[in-house]
Parts: sequence; C-alpha cells; structure tokens
Amino acid sequence: MRYPALLGSLLLIPAALGAQTIQNATLRRAQAAYDNLDYRQALSLGQAAQRERLNGFDRARAYEVLALTYSAMDSILKAVSAFKEVILLEPERELDPNRTSPKVLSAFAVALTQVLVVRQLRVDSTDFVGGQGEVAIRYTVTQPARVVTRVTGGQAPIKLDSAVANGQVNLRWPARLPSGDPVPPGNYTVVVEATVGQNNFSASQPIRVTHGVVDTLPHLVSLPGYDYLPETEIPPKSWKPMGLALVYSGIAIAGTSALSSGDLGSASFREAGVIGGGLMVAGFVVMLRKPAPQPARGNILYNRLLREQLTRRNAEIAQDNVRRRQQVALRVVPLLRGGGGR
Amino acid sequence: MNASRLGGWAVSVVAVVLTAYPANRLCAQHGTVGAHLAFGDYREVSSDLHYRGSGGGVAGSFTFRKLGIEASVAGITYDPVKGSSATVSFKATQLDVRVRYEISGPVSAEVGFVNRKIKPEFEAQSMGAVRAGVRLSYPLGPGVQMGLRGGMLFGSKFSGGGTVSGVGALELGLNMAVDALRGRLRLTGDYDFQRIARTTNGGGGDVAVPIQQALGRLGLAVSF
Repeated sequence: MRYPALLGSLLLIPAALGAQTIQNATLRRAQAAYDNLDYRQALSLGQAAQRERLNGFDRARAYEVLALTYSAMDSILKAVSAFKEVILLEPERELDPNRTSPKVLSAFAVALTQVLVVRQLRVDSTDFVGGQGEVAIRYTVTQPARVVTRVTGGQAPIKLDSAVANGQVNLRWPARLPSGDPVPPGNYTVVVEATVGQNNFSASQPIRVTHGVVDTLPHLVSLPGYDYLPETEIPPKSWKPMGLALVYSGIAIAGTSALSSGDLGSASFREAGVIGGGLMVAGFVVMLRKPAPQPARGNILYNRLLREQLTRRNAEIAQDNVRRRQQVALRVVPLLRGGGGR
Repeated sequence: MNASRLGGWAVSVVAVVLTAYPANRLCAQHGTVGAHLAFGDYREVSSDLHYRGSGGGVAGSFTFRKLGIEASVAGITYDPVKGSSATVSFKATQLDVRVRYEISGPVSAEVGFVNRKIKPEFEAQSMGAVRAGVRLSYPLGPGVQMGLRGGMLFGSKFSGGGTVSGVGALELGLNMAVDALRGRLRLTGDYDFQRIARTTNGGGGDVAVPIQQALGRLGLAVSF
C-alpha cells in the first residue's frame, strides 16, 4: 500500500450519512473496499456502481466513494470533480473536519467553489410582536451570484432581497406585507435563488407563521423600589407647651397689673392666678405627654409625587395595553425540509 | 334701661344668626354647652368699695370654620371684703357674647358685648358695652387650647350714669380648654379682667369713679 494505515484511518467516510443506508450491492462492496484501504478495488467497484441504476442517495454515495478514493490516490482533480457531483446532488453535504483528512477537506472546499449552490439555508424560530421584530434568515452562496430571496405561500410572493452575494448572507425579514400588516398565519416557503450566467440554483425552507395575542401589562400598585413614607411623624418632646403657658399666663397677670387703676388699690391676682395656674398645669401635662403626630410635609409631598408617578405610569400602561390589544404576536417556526435545492 | 336694651338686641342678633343658618350645616359644626363656677373681684370708685364673690353660670359656644361664637351668663354674689366701707352684698348677673373670626394663623378678631345687671340696683353699677378686640389662640397639644385676648369696650352705659373716654374701658382675658373623654367633655377656664375709667359730672366737674372687675370661670362643657 502506498499509504500507511494511519492515513487510511483519517480517510474514513464521515459518519454523518444520516439514517439512510446504501441499497446498491456493488456500492456497498465499493464502500467496504475503501474501508479496507483497497482503493483500486474501491475505484473499480465505485465506477461499476455508477453504471447501475441508483437512487439519489446511492448516487451521491457513489460519487463520494470515488472522490475519497481519488483523494487517497492523490488524483485531486478527479476528486474535486467527484465532490462537485456530490455537492450538486446533496448541497448540504458536510465533511467532519475531525474525522476527515485535510487532503479530502481541501478537495471538498475546492469543489464547493466550483459549483453554484445555496447551502445552509436557515430560518431562526422566533416570537415577536408584529412590526417590532424580525425573522433572521441566513444562507451560504458558494459562488458570487445574483441572489434573490423570496417568501412564497401567501397571496403574492414577498421579495425580501436581491443582491450579488458570495459566502454567508444574513437577512432580516419583518414578516410584514407591503401594506405594513403582519403576514397572515399559514405555511410559507423561504426561497433563495442564485443565478450566474446560465447556472442557477435555488434552495428553500418551509416555515409556519402563527398569530397570537400580545400579552398586556398589569397595572401597578406600587413603583418597584419606591415605598410610601408615613405622612405623619411624632415630633420630639418639647418645653414649648409649658413655656407658652407660662408666657400667656405671665402676660395676663402683667396686663392685669398694668391695667388696674391705682385709685382702686392693688389688683386682685386670685382669678388670673387660678386660671394661669391651670393653664401651666395643662402645659406641663402636655409637655410630658407623647406629642401628637404632626404632618410630615416632605413625606406628604414625596407620597404625592409617588402617587402622581404611579398614576402616570398606569395611564401609560393602559394606553400601551390598548395598543397591545390591537397588535399581533407572530411566531415563526421553520418546518422540516423535504429535500435539498436544485 | 339702656344696658338692658343693648343686651336684648345682641341676644336677638345672635339668635337670628344661629337660626338663619341651615340646620344641616350646623350639624357639621362643633359646639359646646356647659356650666361653670365663677369667682370674682369687684371694685368701684376707690379701694374702699371692694367686693369678692362667687357663683355659677352657663356657657355655650359654636365654631364654624373660621367663625366662632361664645356666650356665657354668670351670676355672682359679691360680698364686701373685710375692711371695706361697703356693707351690702349684691348679685351681679353678667352676660358676655363674643363673635370671633380667624384672621390669620392664631390671630382672630373679636367683637361682642357685655351686659351686667346688679341687684339690688344702685349697690353697684349695672352696665352694658360693646366690645372689640383681638384674640391669640394656640394649641398647646392634642385637645388643649389656650388663648389670650385683649380689647376695648365702647359705648358703655351705666345705671348710675357717667361716661367713659374712648380708650378708658379696657379688658384682658386668658382662656384655656382641655378636651376629655375623646373630646366629648371639655374642661374650661376663663379669666376676664375689666378696667373702666368711668367719670361722672355732678355739677362740680368730672369725678373719676372707676370700675374694675376680675372674673374667673372654671367650667365643664359637653361637646357636640
């Protein structure tokens, strides 16, 4: 053998062949010969299998066995040519870089650049409110080409994009009709058509669009992080009641003394003394008692501000809810594809 | 008697004010009715005519927003003090009416009248006068109010005649009110000092015959 066993192990066919199995007996023998590093046998059996009647999967596998065998035999041009056939038959075909030799990978990469295909068309599953979100669409074009992306399935196809592109392309679709309304619920297909001269290729991805009701916001009973403050506060004990009682009583007694007529002798302070004394007792008791709660102006203003904010926020929520009730929640889900592109 | 007529008119005015006001609004107001003990000191002409006495009376008040009306009647039996030249006791029945209006903060304007009748007549001077003054009110604490008032008496009329100059009749007062039983009862204290520079003219020129009374009231009122 020209190649050591280690190299042979690196050239193992990638395992990602899906659940399908090879139906053709000649092709199975070719695959077995390749696995046993009998490349000449693999080559002759592979070519023999191609002359037989094969289904699509077997045909792609036949080209792949040939491509791998040519790569193992250093016939790179032939390997690239075989890989081109594989790619055209299965545009989504990928080789596992961890289990495939670099020689094979480079031949596969060269083959990719020599055919026009649209690969890896992906539509992300997403939920959003109509008009406020977009559906992410991405795909890869293997050659510079005019690429037109459409969504079909509705009353009229919706053209999303038309541009010359190469490599990975990312698009965003707001899922709206030209009128601005959200697309009606139903099954649609995202179709990507690439054209270079006479060559063209198209890939598609079916999606399902469903409508839902947009959630409304609950009204707030409090603003998070902001609590109401007590609107009254108990002031500290003070000498003021006693002092004022003293002052008032003093004024009354002094006034009595000042106003009394000198002709009538010294004024009687018995009456003023009794009432003034009672007043001072009352002032003393009030001074010792727990003061009555007083309105806390700052807290009252703060609470008023808080209530106004809450009212304003709830008015905004109510307004927003009216708008939300008129909106549509869109859900876009990609469906399983029936096959590749063409 | 002039003094009697003045008192009658004033009572009528107060009665009209109270009855003309819608009853449903009066229900929302604060009022008190109660009785009080009164004790006083009365002097007239000179320090020789000096009386002291005590008695009782009734009082009522209504408050509506900034307006307040107070009325009280006190009957006091004055006896000559020891050493006085007076020999006969007399009974003074005094009617006080005050209407006040809150001007700003603790300051209220106050008008009203006083009418004092003496029995037996001429043992002392019956009198009537219109009063006007200012009251300072201040809440000492929850349910405790105090006030200081000062004013003048105008148009004083006396049973024995005589006149008073424009600023010759002054009065000074101190009052307090303490709510009890969650405001159902009210303990009241009221001090009222009057000094009237009365003069008479007996033909030989003006003669000063001043009158001075200090009256204290301690009462208990029911609030409604």
